[in-house]
Amino acid sequence: MRFLLVLGIILPAAVLAQGWGNVSAPKEEVFTWADWWFEPLFSGFWMAWTRATVSFFIFIFGFIAILAIIELFRPGGGERLGIIRLTTTRGDRLFIGLLGSAYIFLAWIGLVGTLLWVPLGITIAWLFFCFWKI
Amino acid sequence: MRTVNQRGWLFVLPVLLLVAFNALVPLMTVVNYSVQETFGNNQFFWVGLRWFEEILQSERFHAALGRQMLFTVTILIIEIPLGVAIALAMPRRGFWVPVCLVLMSLPLLIPWNVVGAMWNIFTLPDIGLLGYTLNNVLGIDYNMTQDPFAAWITVIVMDVWHWTSLVVLLSYAGLISIPEAYYQAAKIDGASNWSVFRHIQLPKMKRVLTIAVLLRFMDSFNIYTEPFVLTGGGPGNSTTLLSIDLVKVALGQFDLGPAAAMSLIYFAITLAVSWLFYTLMTRDDR
Repeated sequence: MRFLLVLGIILPAAVLAQGWGNVSAPKEEVFTWADWWFEPLFSGFWMAWTRATVSFFIFIFGFIAILAIIELFRPGGGERLGIIRLTTTRGDRLFIGLLGSAYIFLAWIGLVGTLLWVPLGITIAWLFFCFWKI
Repeated sequence: MRTVNQRGWLFVLPVLLLVAFNALVPLMTVVNYSVQETFGNNQFFWVGLRWFEEILQSERFHAALGRQMLFTVTILIIEIPLGVAIALAMPRRGFWVPVCLVLMSLPLLIPWNVVGAMWNIFTLPDIGLLGYTLNNVLGIDYNMTQDPFAAWITVIVMDVWHWTSLVVLLSYAGLISIPEAYYQAAKIDGASNWSVFRHIQLPKMKRVLTIAVLLRFMDSFNIYTEPFVLTGGGPGNSTTLLSIDLVKVALGQFDLGPAAAMSLIYFAITLAVSWLFYTLMTRDDR
């Protein structure tokens, strides 16, 4: 009986503390840049685009477009014998750079985890190395 | 000033569109799926790289990848030398040339699922010709539905039967393109059969062998239909290759996110190994 009495006092007090109007009100949506970046770009579309994945492809196609523009001004593909004793063009160096980057990320995710700042740094260094020496 | 004919781009355009629709769009979709979760109805939720972490650390994936690599290495070790040896033994002129070529082409003309079904029936211990002969005539205890080793042997023999012809035909095309003058010069020098093979035939077959190794690597690394029809991945998981496991995850469990991550890892391995093969085999030409 005493328990019910205490409950009878506490529950209305709790409800009053946050206001009657808020008891059944839906949770307010708070805008965050992370949600904006990762939310579906076209809701219900089967290809499931997000701003993050669009940026990923823009990065890759942008790289290819830059190489195409360089090719217009300096034709021939910039062929040279690199440090691994392999004759490579600019396109080859991009391919090796991107494929190597994918492996750096996969190795990091498999062995360490999904915090990717360190492999991002390694990848940028690797891409520079590819275009500089390979 | 030198004029450049740009009309060639128009001829390339249909292929570009075709590749975009049958390869690029699906690949982009797979990338999108690999970082999201879906419960159907085209509703997606961002999960980041969780699927990649899950797949890369899963023992099931490691085991399937190991089996896939074992299969590919085994069939390459068998099919490439065997194909070259058969091509060397084939006649170069006369009546038997078309007969041999047709016989060699036959296995390649059979649809993949039919090959699996054919070998399944062929190896059944009770009614299959091979299974019955091994068990009841030769007294070898053979049952590929129960014994993982027997299942592996059967899958490999089936693949060798089906695909060695491709290596044979490619090698044969390389062999008959060698001018007769090379052989005459070798004869004058008193070269042995091994020397002729080592210094004339093998270097001249290098380009076609590059194509043969690449095709066989990619086909065998992505093989699905034949082993699936033959063994269904069993007994247990013993012949569940990576492709079979991928289909189980994608269509059996409908886990599109993990399946997409698995596909991308699979794709990265195929791409890297193919590039490595191609680079190593054409390094001297560049």
